[in-house]
Formats: sequence, C-alpha cells, structure tokens
Amino acid sequence: MADTATNGRWRDLDKLLLRPGNLVGPNFEPSPELRDDLQTYARVLVVGAGGLGCELLKDLALSGFRNLEVIDMDRIEVSNLNRQFLFRLQDVGKPKAEVAAQRVMERVSGVNIVPHFCRIEDKDLEFYSDFNIIALGLDSIEARSYINAVACSFLEYDSDDNPMEETMKPMVDGGTEGFKGHARVILPGVTPCFECTIWLFPPQVKFPLCTLAETPRTAAHCIEYAHLIKWGEVHVGKSFDEDDPEHMQWVYSEAVKRAELFGILGVTYSFTQGVVKNIIPAIASTNALISAACALEALKIATGCSKTMSNYLTYNGLEGLHTKVTEFVRDKDCLVCGPGVLIELDTSTTLQKFIDLLGEHPKVRMPKASVAHRGENLYMQAPPILEEMTRSNLQVSLYNLMGKLARDVVHVTGAAAVNGKTASSLRKLRIVFRGATNDGVADMDTAGGA
Amino acid sequence: MLKMSQYLNDGTVGIMIKLFKVKEKQREIAENANGKAPVKKQSAGELRLHKDICELNLPKTTTINFPNGKDDLMNFEVTIRPDEGYYLGGTFVFTFHVPTIYPHEAPKVKCKTKLYHPNIDLEGNVCLNILREDWKPVLNINTVIYGLHHLFTQPNHEDPLNSDAAAVLRDNPKMFEANVRRAMAGGYVGQTYFSRCV
Amino acid sequence: MVEAKNKYDRQLRIWGEQGQAALESASICLLNCGPTGSETLKNLVLGGVGSITLVDGSRVEEGDLGNNFMLDAESIGLSKAKCVCSFLQELNDSVKAKFVEESPDALIDTNPSFFCQFTLVIATQLLETSVLKLDKICRQSNIMLIVARSYGLTGLVRISLKEHDVIESKPDHFLDDLRLHNPWPELKKFADSIDLNTTDPVVHKHTPYVVILVKMAEEWTQRHGGCLPSTREEKKEFKELLKSQMLAFDEDNYKEAIEASFKVSALRGISAHLRQIVDDSLVQVDSTSSDFWVLVAALKEFIENEGQGEPPLEGSLPDMTSLTEYYISLQKIYQAKAEADTAVVEYHTRNILKRIGRDPGVISKSYIKNFCRNARKITVCRYRTIEDEFTSPALSELQKYLTDEDYSVAVGFYILLRAVDRFAANYNRFPGMFDGSKAYLLVKSHSEMDDDISRLKTIAVGILSDLGCNSSALPEDLISEMCRCGGAELHAVAAFIGGVASQEVIKLITKQFVPMSGTFIFNGIDHKSQLLLL
Repeated sequence: MADTATNGRWRDLDKLLLRPGNLVGPNFEPSPELRDDLQTYARVLVVGAGGLGCELLKDLALSGFRNLEVIDMDRIEVSNLNRQFLFRLQDVGKPKAEVAAQRVMERVSGVNIVPHFCRIEDKDLEFYSDFNIIALGLDSIEARSYINAVACSFLEYDSDDNPMEETMKPMVDGGTEGFKGHARVILPGVTPCFECTIWLFPPQVKFPLCTLAETPRTAAHCIEYAHLIKWGEVHVGKSFDEDDPEHMQWVYSEAVKRAELFGILGVTYSFTQGVVKNIIPAIASTNALISAACALEALKIATGCSKTMSNYLTYNGLEGLHTKVTEFVRDKDCLVCGPGVLIELDTSTTLQKFIDLLGEHPKVRMPKASVAHRGENLYMQAPPILEEMTRSNLQVSLYNLMGKLARDVVHVTGAAAVNGKTASSLRKLRIVFRGATNDGVADMDTAGGA
Repeated sequence: MLKMSQYLNDGTVGIMIKLFKVKEKQREIAENANGKAPVKKQSAGELRLHKDICELNLPKTTTINFPNGKDDLMNFEVTIRPDEGYYLGGTFVFTFHVPTIYPHEAPKVKCKTKLYHPNIDLEGNVCLNILREDWKPVLNINTVIYGLHHLFTQPNHEDPLNSDAAAVLRDNPKMFEANVRRAMAGGYVGQTYFSRCV
Repeated sequence: MVEAKNKYDRQLRIWGEQGQAALESASICLLNCGPTGSETLKNLVLGGVGSITLVDGSRVEEGDLGNNFMLDAESIGLSKAKCVCSFLQELNDSVKAKFVEESPDALIDTNPSFFCQFTLVIATQLLETSVLKLDKICRQSNIMLIVARSYGLTGLVRISLKEHDVIESKPDHFLDDLRLHNPWPELKKFADSIDLNTTDPVVHKHTPYVVILVKMAEEWTQRHGGCLPSTREEKKEFKELLKSQMLAFDEDNYKEAIEASFKVSALRGISAHLRQIVDDSLVQVDSTSSDFWVLVAALKEFIENEGQGEPPLEGSLPDMTSLTEYYISLQKIYQAKAEADTAVVEYHTRNILKRIGRDPGVISKSYIKNFCRNARKITVCRYRTIEDEFTSPALSELQKYLTDEDYSVAVGFYILLRAVDRFAANYNRFPGMFDGSKAYLLVKSHSEMDDDISRLKTIAVGILSDLGCNSSALPEDLISEMCRCGGAELHAVAAFIGGVASQEVIKLITKQFVPMSGTFIFNGIDHKSQLLLL
C-alpha cells in the first residue's frame, strides 16, 4: 500500500504526512493511515466562493482534503473574472458555489464538493455542526461575525472552565484589500475569536449628512448626496438597489449635476460605483497567497504535520514586502467564545428564584438581572413596557423556559458588584440542570480527564 | 486524548483528525445531541443591545416601544414629546434599526413624523454627528436618544439638512417659531404640507 | 472594450489604465511549470498580461496531479509546458500563450539570447548553477528576473535587476504637502482675505484649517521674533492659542486645526530619502541617461534654485471641514502653484535634454507632471547580482541574522536552500528523496535518512564557514526538516510563493508601488517569514 502511494499521486504531500519530524504538532503520528483518514474523515466547509473561496477550494483539494462543501449566495459577475479563476465569461449569471464546486471536481479526481447556493443564515446549526473545520473567504464583518458565533456556539467547557477539544470547531479566516491581506487561525476557546478582536476592523468612513447637503467638497460627497438624500426625495417609497444599473446610473447623473453646480471635479461612473457599493479593490495574487496560508493551516490543524501559526498573519506588499505574525490574546470575558460562569440548577427552579440567586452568587453578584436565552428575552427589568411583557415568565421554571435543554447558555444584564464597585455588566452563564439527562450531562463531567 | 495543558500554553492544538474520526462515527450511529437545539443564535450585537435596552434611562418626554414584540430588540420606535422650546406639544416618532454588528456600527435612525426642522429633512434623515461620522462603540442607545432630544431643545442652523428652515431660524426666529407651530398643527409651510402632530 | 474594463474593474482601481496598459504590453517567460510557476503565472494571466511563454522539458507524471491544478488525469505522459499552457489560456483569451518543450537548464546553456525577447523572466525551482547563469544573461540584456522557489514548508522569492525606478510609489500613509510652515504669496493672500473673527457662526465653523493655521502661525511669528513654534512647550501653547479661537466646542474645523498644528512646525527642505536620490551619482546625466534620471536632475535644479530648498508642490488638498467655496478656492490655489512649479521643472528638463544632446521635446508633459506630483515619493530600487550575494554577502547582516532569534529560522532556511542545491548537484537528488518503492519503509528504519541529514549538514556548515560565519547557529531541527520534505513541492506553499512572486511582477511591470528588496524567505511552519538583506 504505502509503496505505491508514496510514488503516486500524493508523492509530495506524503513526505509531510508519512515521515516523522521535529517541528510538528503534538501527537503527530505520521503514517499512510493519516493521509487516508484526512481524505475520509476531515470535512471542511468553505464559506464564500469568491476570490478567496475559489483559491481555498483548489488549495484544500490539493492538500489532501476530499470532503468539501461550499456556501455562497452570489452569482458570477464579469468583474469577478480578474481573480476568481474557476469562472469563465460564459459562466456569468450562474451561482458561484455550483460552478466553483464543479470546476474543482473536474480537475482534482476523487474530491467531492457539495455546493450550497444560499445565504449563510439559511442553514441551521446542524448543518454547520457537521464540519470539522470552517474556512472563511468573506469580505464582510457581518458574515464573519455570524459564522464565528455559529462555530463558537458548539464549544463547550468542562467543569474547570477548560475548553473541550472535541467540541471545538477551528476556523481559518482570510481577507484582502489590494496588495494587503490577513490570514488567521481561530481555535475557539484557545485563540481569540472574531468577536474578541473585532476592533481590528476599522469602521467605515461616513460623511456627515449636513456636509452632503450644504458644504460638499469632494466627488464622494456629491455621490453620497445623490445616493443617501436625493434618491429618497425623488423616489418616495422606492428603496435604492445598488445592483440595479438604472439606479446606479441615476445616482451617477445626479452626482454629476451636483458636482457641476459646486465646481467639483472627479465624479465618474466607476467612482460612483466604488463609493456607493463600497468596492474593495482586489487582485488575484493577494487572494492566492492569503488563501494558501489559510489552507496550509487547515492541513496542519487536521494532521499535526507541522506547528500551527499563532495566530494572526498580516501581509502588505504596497511598499516593499512586510509580513508579521501577531499573537493576539483572547478576551476572557468574551460573550461569544468565553466560558462564562457555570451554574447548576434544579429543573424546578423558577426564573424568579434564578434571578434572586444571581444576586447572591459569588461569581455573578447581580441582584437585578435581565435574562436572555438564544434571542428570547425571558425577563427584562426595564424599560417598563418590556418588563410588563416578560413578567409572567417569572413564575415559570427556567428549565421549561429554556426548552427543556439539559444545559445551555443564557446571558444576563444588570448592575453587578465587581471588585467592590457596582458596574453595569453583561455576563454569559452556562446553566446545567441537575438530573436532566436527555443530552449528555454525563459526558461533560468526565471529559476533562479523558 | 490530548491534555488541555499541552495546547493552552503555545496556542496550538494536537492532531485533530482522530477527533474528526470519532465525530464521523458518532454521526453515523446516532442523531447528534445538538439536533435538539433551537436554530436561532443571538449575535454579539443583539446581546450588547440587550444591555443597552435594560439600562435605558429615558428623559420623561420620551417613550420607547417594540412593534415586533419582546424578542425583537433590533427594531424599535422612540417617541419624543418635547416639554420646552419651539416643538413643545408635538409628538415625533423615530424608527431605530440596529445592525447585527452593533456597536461596531451605529444604529440607523429615521424620523417617521414629517416635520419642519433645520437638522431633519422632509424624508426623515437626521443630521446628528453620533449617528454617522462620530459614532463610537462606547456610545449607546441612550446617548442617541439624548442626542435626538437635544435637536428639539436646540435646533441649530449651522449644520442644516433643511436649509430653508435653517435660514428662517437664523434670520427670523419669530417666523421660525410660527412656521413650526403651523407645521405641527397640520398645514403648509411654503409649498410643503405637514400632517398634524400635536 | 467595455467588457475588458468591467473584467479588470477591481484592479483598475489599484493601478489604473496606465498600469493595465503596461501589463498588457508585457511579455513574460516562465521557467518550469510545476505548481510554483503555474500558480505565479495564473495570477498574471487573470490580470491580463500581454503574453506568456512557458518553458519546461518534462512530461506529466502521476505525482504532478497531486500538487498542480493546471494538470489532470488526461495530461499524464504529455508535455507539462503544453498542458499548463492550454489551461492558462482558458483563463483569459486576451493573453497570448506559447510554450517551449525544452529543459530550462539546457536553454540557459545553449541559447542565452532566447531570453532577450521578454520583459521579465520568472525562474522557478531552478538550481543554483542555472540561476547564476540566468542572472548574468538577464542583467546583460536588461531583462527583469524573479527567482521563486518552493521547498517543503519553506521557499524564497528574490528580484534581480540592476535598477528599478518608481515614480508612482503610492505609499499608504504619506504626509500631505500643504506648506503651512512656508506658505507662498498666493496662499497668504487668500488667508489674509478671510477674517477669523467673523461674527457669522456658520462661516466661523466652516473656515478651513489651512487658513486658520496660516493666519495663526503668522500671528505667532509676529509675537515670537519671526519664529514658528518649535519646542514642545511652544507647540502646546500654539494649540492653546488655537483652542482659544473656538466659539463652540463642536467646531470641527478648529479640532482639525489643532490636530494638524504640527504641520506649521515642519522643517523646510526635502526628506533624507529624497536627498539620497538627488545626490546619487546618476544625477550627472548624459545622453545615455534614462528619462527618470533626467527628471531627477531637473528636480535637483528646481530644489536648489526656484524651490529654495523645497520640491515642487504636490498640489492636492485633503478634504477638510469648509464652506464649499473656500475649499474650491484653496484647491485652485494649490493646483496653480503645482502647475507653476511643474512648468519650471519642465523648463529645466528641456534645457538638460538640450545640453546632453537629446531632443528637448522627447519627454512628454504628462510624464513631467506626474513626476512632479510624486516628486517627494520617487523611489530607486537596486539589487545586487545573485552571484555577488552568494560569494560576498553583507557579512554584518548575516552575523546579525544568525544570532537574532527573529531571523534565525529564516536565515537557516536561506543557507539550507542553497545547501540542498549543492546536495542535488553532488547526488543527483535532493536529501530525503528516495526511490519511491523504499521510501516509507526506509524512513522508518532511519538509516538512509540519517545519512542524508549528516551529508546536508556538512554542506550547510561548509557554506557558512566559507563565508567566515559560525556554523553552530544552524538549528539541527531545520536540517532534518529539509530532509523530511525531500524536495516536496506542496501545493499550498507553491500557491503562497506564487502569490508573492506575482505581486512583485505586477509592481515591476506597472512601475507602481515599491517592489521588495533582498530575499524573501517563507517560513511555512509558523509563518514568521523574513526579508534578508544580504
């Protein structure tokens, strides 16, 4: 078996997976079985089939992964073709996920890629739960934040607040802008999650509306005036669609008129599109190198064939070449990936009793808590209108309110005593109901020492 | 299985392929325990908003209401009834739409009531710095509501969105006052009709 | 045409029509069509380079399908250059794609003039001896060369050419050129026409900070014996003075003025970076000088004469809180000054051309204008020949790298990448590359692998001691890592190296942005890659 394999198709990859080394991950066990297991058991979801997603699919397929799925809601556009190398001119208009999956399967025999032409929100948690690694090739903060929350929701902690590895859903995430990019590894519970370091993303520049209305000075001001103010004035009740060329043309010609009125130069159709759609310039080479870094890390996470990057790589090719790895640290109190406070309750505990208990709990000390569970507000202390709407829950058992789950997370808000001072705070709590057995409480107690 | 301490130090995880293998077996044998879990997830933005809402300390002229019920805090309405100044006696409704990445981005606020105001245009766009260029994640819903409130007690003609109203306020405050009264009572100011809001 | 514009929209926003035109007229040669070369070229074909020529003499084997996306099962046994070429052609039909079925090493030896037809040559997976020969050939004919290599979890990228001059370096953050420390008469006159103490609150909070600073700096100098604020105390005092002018806390223009107040204290004259360029020996131009250096010579004359120590004004004005009419007027004043400065530089340029016996009109007005607009940011990149670097590297740097924890892995890989080439020259295979049928079993028994490790170590130690360096600094783990990889070209590593190399190619061809200096050493273990300047 091994003989033919090393000489065959995986000639190069096998050197990494079949041979022992010194600079490898802990417990790395090189063998032909490792390569076979990678092909059989590792399931990777690629989120986004754009500039990064196309590269990721190719890189993963040629790094020994065989079970891939890809999700993307977009269709192919002409402006994708300068970098999204799986697409051709005749593919314009077709779903990206489907074409990308097809092209990679055609070229890399044995790989199976399931496309999902839909929004990431359309899939339920069970769908995401199936994957071992999630690779993100996205261009929006919203989508990253969403996937991050989903991936972190599978993470469980043992009774000593240590993350349980078998519940960990590792992510590799890439992003580019022109000649610059980043690649990062997120091991929920171990390295910072997206939410721990959301401040890394600068907020978008927004012009004051009164500048647009009264003192425009730049082409962008004229364009945003047409887009944000004039459109609503003229098209009452019709919302602006940035993907409708007629709408874009209208904004452009209004912007031109306004620029002429004020003696401002520089309004072009292309610039109008750039401002309105907040277009981020993108090139093939940067996408290629960032995706490659992500795919390499995915291979290392799965097999341990080398140490992993810790944990955030930035690349900048604008002025010379600058690359740097930064080891960001987790926010221990992160609401998304942090352990929160473990609280054990009886299934009969009412919400009122639970709230009273939080005032006394040494790690919480929050006498007047408002409680939320998976988007449902179980009790709100304020404002009065919400208090009234949620008051009836107080006499119901928390177990019932939480849908009879044996354990789950709730979030509480309120004034809490922290280091002797009272401060408003928002906390994550891991609730475990004593005696509830439907979903593996026993697992949890033993996992830490397994 | 790998001991936690092995990776907590250097931020690396041991070989995960074995876990994948175990997971695949489990998947084949039984329904995943998580299958029972509700689908809806609460975003970090929703949680932060939850806190903001619990901590609201509204001026007595202001009320808040949630048209989609207690579980949709991302969309709500704020009603302001100024108790002094030009707009005394009027009722003004603002819609708030909070993005999922709140507080990384500011809430989107529009005025539902058509009004004659130098800093609010006839489509309900509001010129308030903290809603756009000066928004920071440390700010909250309360700050925004106070900012809106301020627009009624201190309308300013220096940063106008409705330049006609601003010019009248600057050059002839008496006439501005009369215009505001007329608009609030329901009627025309110049060519523009305003519905009654007192 | 419209379609091409749409197709390239996302990159036109970076390098514009000019950059795109340069790409479309470039002719590129790739040596070796493994994944490193194929991926490099893929990124360039997508971007629309003019023509590509692929050189590879090998046939496709099964093992190539495991790391190269451009090949599939049907390619087995066929020419690799041909198969990769036809896939690349599929990506963009406006690119002219050709292939040559010949070994790059043989071509370098037998037909050096072959390379003269190209704008740039990308040499991938080429061994040391061939790289050195190719470098000489390319230098002689002024062909740009990029060397790219993937090897296990490491790799390198190195540019080699005599000199590369950049006008549009487009740095991310560069201080604007407002001359607030040294306003010219028209700017002063405009500032004088505005009353800072206006009673109109709208005008007061919409007076641009440029005007505020010019006027307040003048007021300051009158009260301080003609001097601008220079000490820390004075700068603080100046800020207080600005603050005292505010009518209300929300006057954004005054906030901007306070934030920009340091600009009035800027030193006159040019930066050290620009000083180095205008003092370069090439500024003594003759009939063989490039247009770039003729312009630098003209720039120098401007700085020394009309500019009174300053470069021509850039002419652009950043957005700032202002009434529209004030802003537009200021914009025109800045543009007019920039145009006047450009006209002077043009005058010098024509004179210099005449003096060196060239047609005075040979350099276009738009070239001169572009040069002047970017005068503070022009950049000159020079690269040693690879042979020079190999035989006499910058020793002090090398010593520093060997002892610096941040660089020790990168410099280790650098030495070892050279060592594996010598190993290959001696043994006709890379260390750790065994006959396929025995590979796995032999690794288990270690004997043959151990032999390779000690052989490679001997070679690497030899390289270091020939250079007079302490060889004990070479980490043992890296040596065995090189042998473990056995010359493997992993797809993800190749794609990374290909991405880096193609970025550099684009910068070189468009003559925009600044290409890397030195040798980039990829570290695929923890991604702490480094640039080595040797």
